[in-house]
Amino acid sequence: MAKKTLDVLTDPVVNNNPITLQVLGICSALAVTTKMETSVVMAIAVIAVTGFSNLAVSAIRSFIPSSIRIIVQMCVIASLVIVVDQFLKAFLFDISKQLSVFVGLIITNCIVMGRAEGFAMKNSAGISFLDGIGNGLGYGFVLLVVAFFRELFGSGSLFGFTLLELDRNGGWYNPNGMMLLPPSAFFIIGMMIWVIRLNKPAQIEES
Amino acid sequence: MPAKDSTSGTILIATILCVVCSLAVSAAAVALKPYQVENAKLDQKKNILDAAGIPKDELGKPASELTSKKIDSLYTWIEEKMVDLDTGQYNTEFDATTFSLEEQASNPKTSEPIVGDPYDNGEDRRPKTMKVFIVRHEGEGPIKQVVLPIYGKGLWGTLWGYLALKSDLETVQGITFYQHKETPGLGGEVDNPNWKSQWDGLKLYDDQGDPTAYVAKGPAPDDDPSAVDGLSGATITSRGVTALVQYWASEQGYGPFLETLKKQIEEEAAAAESPSSAGNATTKAGA
Amino acid sequence: MKPLRDAFDRVHPYFAKGGILEKAYPVYESIDTFLFTPGETTRGRTHVRDGIDLKRMMITVVFALIPVTLFGMWNAGYQANSAIVKMTEADVPIEYDWHHSVHTFFGLGHDPGSFADNFIYGAIFFIPIYAVTMFVGGHIEMIFSVLRGHEINEGFLVTGLLFPLTLPPSIPLWQVALGIAFGVIVAKEVFGGTGRNFLNVALASRAFLYFSYAASISGDKVWTAVDGFSGATALGQMAIAEGGAIESLDSVQYVWGDTGSITWMSSFLGTIQGSIGETSALLCLVGAGILIAAGIGSWRIMLSVILGVIGTTLLLNAVGSETNPMFGVPFYWHLVIGGLAFGLVFMATDPVSASMTNTGKWFYGILIGFMTVLIRVINPAFPEGIMLAILFGNVFAPLIDYFVVQANVRRRVARYAS
Repeated sequence: MAKKTLDVLTDPVVNNNPITLQVLGICSALAVTTKMETSVVMAIAVIAVTGFSNLAVSAIRSFIPSSIRIIVQMCVIASLVIVVDQFLKAFLFDISKQLSVFVGLIITNCIVMGRAEGFAMKNSAGISFLDGIGNGLGYGFVLLVVAFFRELFGSGSLFGFTLLELDRNGGWYNPNGMMLLPPSAFFIIGMMIWVIRLNKPAQIEES
Repeated sequence: MPAKDSTSGTILIATILCVVCSLAVSAAAVALKPYQVENAKLDQKKNILDAAGIPKDELGKPASELTSKKIDSLYTWIEEKMVDLDTGQYNTEFDATTFSLEEQASNPKTSEPIVGDPYDNGEDRRPKTMKVFIVRHEGEGPIKQVVLPIYGKGLWGTLWGYLALKSDLETVQGITFYQHKETPGLGGEVDNPNWKSQWDGLKLYDDQGDPTAYVAKGPAPDDDPSAVDGLSGATITSRGVTALVQYWASEQGYGPFLETLKKQIEEEAAAAESPSSAGNATTKAGA
Repeated sequence: MKPLRDAFDRVHPYFAKGGILEKAYPVYESIDTFLFTPGETTRGRTHVRDGIDLKRMMITVVFALIPVTLFGMWNAGYQANSAIVKMTEADVPIEYDWHHSVHTFFGLGHDPGSFADNFIYGAIFFIPIYAVTMFVGGHIEMIFSVLRGHEINEGFLVTGLLFPLTLPPSIPLWQVALGIAFGVIVAKEVFGGTGRNFLNVALASRAFLYFSYAASISGDKVWTAVDGFSGATALGQMAIAEGGAIESLDSVQYVWGDTGSITWMSSFLGTIQGSIGETSALLCLVGAGILIAAGIGSWRIMLSVILGVIGTTLLLNAVGSETNPMFGVPFYWHLVIGGLAFGLVFMATDPVSASMTNTGKWFYGILIGFMTVLIRVINPAFPEGIMLAILFGNVFAPLIDYFVVQANVRRRVARYAS
């Protein structure tokens, strides 16, 4: 049983990653990954929302009338997102300013809804919570990898700490401007999917 | 309790859920409101202080690296004033604490259309009254600087910022843009500290009193005291910055107010000359 | 030739199945078939589109590119030398780099009137760019072929020549390497290699550089290979013109303080600054003639791009704009400036990424012409539009073909039903 519980948590990180396998929640992965700092905060926000929405939906699953179950899930998720957004605005103002609408857009992130409907509606509260956290971690993992490359090659720094001195500030590194534009995240996610599927051929879809 | 899939059950559950969710959301919103307001204010203070260059001059680091306490104490140097843009006079009726530039500029009641000739910042409207920030050393003594909110069109959207002038009101102290949508690495370089530092000491007006400060195409000519280097690969952003700085510096922008302020500075200087207050003012300024 | 053939046959067993060098068979095969027409015939149920094999086709394109390449080298040198003379006269500081050292090593000077000075100086810029492209791109291609056990294709000969021709002569070589690596891997190998790239590889590489290192491939400083030079291209000048766009071409500001003018004839002949291969509309026309005569380049695409440009320009001329002088630029100017001529002849006609059906080619070409003018005129950020327009057209090509085929199917069904 312990093994299985752990699997629920770790499976979505690589084996069943919501972004690289299911290709969900791409939108915000493009928008917020220019810097590690914003990506970490975004990842934590999504982990909190997926975890607690799974918990809440699972806890009340036996009371939810099937005719309005999607609306109920939506309502729970939307409330959680607003609360998270309020917290960020209150305690991490600079970062929430950079994340702008993308915290609010967690509501539309398919991962959250997908886990609530696909997992939490059928499983007990504890395991649903872990599943939510696990999927959030999977999302966060991709976010951090993308942000690592984008910040390093686009701005020559990590977490704002300069590693490659930029030529316009007197250093040697000519930053790659495309890394600061959203399409670069597409390329990096694409490369990640390539690498993961080279190592795990089971993930390759039948054509 | 009715069965969960019956109509009454559905309505009951929906109602309970709505009440619970709305309670949670409003509780969070109300409880955190004071922090958020505080943050927004602090953010604005940082931007203004950075434009005026006070944190850099006094403590050697930008405002973003200071604690909120330090920011508040530095901000005591600054006096917020409402100004009627057309007449250039102070508007004492308007409450400076509730002023929001973006709101005022878009509301047809509180704004007026921008003529756009001869100077044009590319926007449609501007507020009738603006909040300006007057800087005195430690909040006392003669006026050291004035910080003016400025905005105008860049390539992809509006650039919002502050322009700080030295006490002669003809020389730039600093410029910052706190919000813009320019291309990262090209027009986005308006945030580059090296580029911004070129504005310090820039001559804002020519001998006729017309605004002349501009962003050059390519490197700024060495013999021109009114030029800063162009942002490479960002012609439109460079032109936008030139246009908006010249617009706000012109008669159509802060021209009338700068007249008023000039008189005020002269009067204060004359008053300081008179024996009763001279000693007081000089000690403060020297501190 | 006989001894060479024998040599190939002697080493063949090593590369054949079971041989010790089996893995490197693609390398052997590519050299062999490059030199000799292969004796094998296609096996399996293959649909023959054309009787000519890929290699001959590619070689014809390379042949068609030779005039613009030679002229491009001369012109790169001519532009640089002209600028050097003017800048020296006006005491503008010039920072010479290794190109200059190599040039003077051969005992040559910077006289824009001397053919050798121009051609050699231009070649010193072009050949390293070309060499880096071929080296990096060719090796990536080879590695993928070996890993996948495919045969190496000559497709890269064309891409490897097209790409350097779209670059400014002053481009840093490491950027060339990065650009072609990105193009070959992401635009081609990821999708399965030669014949499966849905984007034009040379343009995808260029687009990567354009968005990554915009300062090296746009603006006023890069098109003439002299460090310290500054002067707008025709499109750059028009985009920032106040008043008439064409009139503003008479007063292009150069770094030496003078103003020069860009005339229609100089743009047509190509004696203006720009990417190495793009400047001469005349020689692109020659290339077009070769491609059409050989039946390789589609005249439908070339013609429809031109029609798209003319139509869109006339429309925008009629609409007019008080604030944007680009609206007033006539079509005969659009056709000779920037990379339009080069792009429509050599890039838009790339048979892999263009539409396949004849009707589709018309739509595809008109779309490219339309988008090019739209980007040039209306988008404030990009002065030139042909690169993005062709990539856009590439993306739409399969969709266009799909609708053309479906329409055909419907028509036939209707015909048989009656």
